[in-house]
Amino acid sequence: MTKRSNRVAIAIVGAAAFTLAGCREEQVDAAAFPDLQSCLDQASPSGMVTAQDCETSFAQAEALHVEAAPRYDSLAVCEEQHGEGACGSEAAATQGGSSGIFMPLLAGYLIGNAMSGRAGMAAAQPLYKTSDGRYTNAARTSVFSNNRGATKMSTSQFLRPATTMGQTPMTRATAASRGGFGASGAGRTGFGG
Amino acid sequence: MQKITLPERPHWRDHAKEVGFTFADMHGAPYWDETSAYAFTLEQIETDLEDPATELHDMCRQAVAEIVTSERLMDRLAIPEAHRDLIAESWRRGDPEIYGRFDFAYDGKAPAKLLEYNADTPTSLYESAAFQWQWLEDQLQAGVLAEGCDQFNGIHEALVARFGAVFEAGSDLHFTAIADNPEDYGTVEAMGWAAREAGLGAHYCNLDQIALSEDGQFLDDQDRRIAVLFKLYPWEDLLRDPYADHIAGSGCLFLEPAWKALLSNKGLLPVLWQMFEGHPNLLPAFFEADIAEAMTGQGAAAPDIAPAFGRAEAQLAAAHVRKPILSREGASVSIHKSGQVIEEAKNTEYAEHPRIVQAYAPLPQFDGFRPVIGAWIVGQACVGIGIREDHSRITQDLSRFKPHYISV
Repeated sequence: MTKRSNRVAIAIVGAAAFTLAGCREEQVDAAAFPDLQSCLDQASPSGMVTAQDCETSFAQAEALHVEAAPRYDSLAVCEEQHGEGACGSEAAATQGGSSGIFMPLLAGYLIGNAMSGRAGMAAAQPLYKTSDGRYTNAARTSVFSNNRGATKMSTSQFLRPATTMGQTPMTRATAASRGGFGASGAGRTGFGG
Repeated sequence: MQKITLPERPHWRDHAKEVGFTFADMHGAPYWDETSAYAFTLEQIETDLEDPATELHDMCRQAVAEIVTSERLMDRLAIPEAHRDLIAESWRRGDPEIYGRFDFAYDGKAPAKLLEYNADTPTSLYESAAFQWQWLEDQLQAGVLAEGCDQFNGIHEALVARFGAVFEAGSDLHFTAIADNPEDYGTVEAMGWAAREAGLGAHYCNLDQIALSEDGQFLDDQDRRIAVLFKLYPWEDLLRDPYADHIAGSGCLFLEPAWKALLSNKGLLPVLWQMFEGHPNLLPAFFEADIAEAMTGQGAAAPDIAPAFGRAEAQLAAAHVRKPILSREGASVSIHKSGQVIEEAKNTEYAEHPRIVQAYAPLPQFDGFRPVIGAWIVGQACVGIGIREDHSRITQDLSRFKPHYISV
């Protein structure tokens, strides 16, 4: 029984905690597929993914998609984020969903090898289009240039995204003003102690 | 408690650069310094630092309960009248605390004495929780430290557990700090990592980018509603900012919560002394306004504290410190010995604030440096320490951070 942590997060490389870039964690094999069929086409019993992996991961990514896809209160805002034609209503995506809430369509999924069964981790992540034609995960913490291919990735890419279902979504609102915090400290360069 | 000279890790500067610890050298002077480290026994750690800090946090909570019911104390702590309800409300609601840092004068022998509580915006979290931890692991591996040496540093894991206990998995949290200050940002990012690891969404936004929506909620730089905001920006400033009046109705949970404004305020020290006079980890402390005339022999101390002042008078006359209730980094602090000022901070930024008078507990000296022990509280328990040392008697912005270990 030591008096210290078993692990720490060592990197602070400018918003890394908030974008998950530059994280020095173990790397796992990861593969992205635009859909279930393209995964099955590549599957082999001895390869990185088996047909069973494809099925399981796809189901998991779909479940996470329902649970954690970004939600928007208008189609326009959703399409602004994910591109034209890349969004649908929550009602269309899931039973009991609202027709007034919009979410991006599933545009692929990312499989991480040996990630299943870990606390707080998901073996597969849904991918969504971004407005500039790339791909992002549900938490929108990472952007990928492609929704197809194999690579090494840090395990943090497989952190379960925050669930948005049934909660106030991180919706946009109209700003009436900006910059009303920080004025009292004008001229000071830091606030910690 | 000893200061032990040790070989530096050959590549620590490269490592610091690689992980983004850009303030390892600050203002051209070394800030992180591993040419030596402080060694403690397990008993010193547990009996003299850990348990007292946990107990002090509990006493502080009792003090908050006291202060929120007293307009007089709110006055003394310079809490703006318009926002006293906000603070009292956040306490009654039980808004959760995440972290804080007690600063102690401790020499390894006598009881640690509380200098102040950075309960709202403590920095040096990253170097305490992560960089110091890595140092220990590396030095154990290199054989520089004997096998079985340990460190009092469960900070990161405690933060993860705390975030996990307070928030439902998947909640979205926002984090903010002033733009372009690597030191403040380092603390915020260390927090962000812990929140992420607890399965929460962590979003960063510069302080000056926060907006107010038409329906009264705070928004981030992408106009998304903020439900929880961890801010490395003190309550005393928040409450004086243009958005101050919108905090109460925003529905946003602030971290640290508003009631921490009562603890990160040196007015806490006289309140603690009033409630727990004679506690081994406290120094006698009074509001200057209550005892100024009595100190100079021109009048009497305020009636409610006169007996306590009588008991502490000789100790204060021998040596005391005057601190503005809201200063940070030692600004505007002065040390008085037998009527003479023996040391004064060059930075007089807070000179116009009301002050407290606290008995002087000299910091021990090791090789001409004076270490201050920062004891980290996460939730309601002490989970680790970080040490800063300074040439001068007043710990200021130019202090050095020193690693520590628990000897076998």
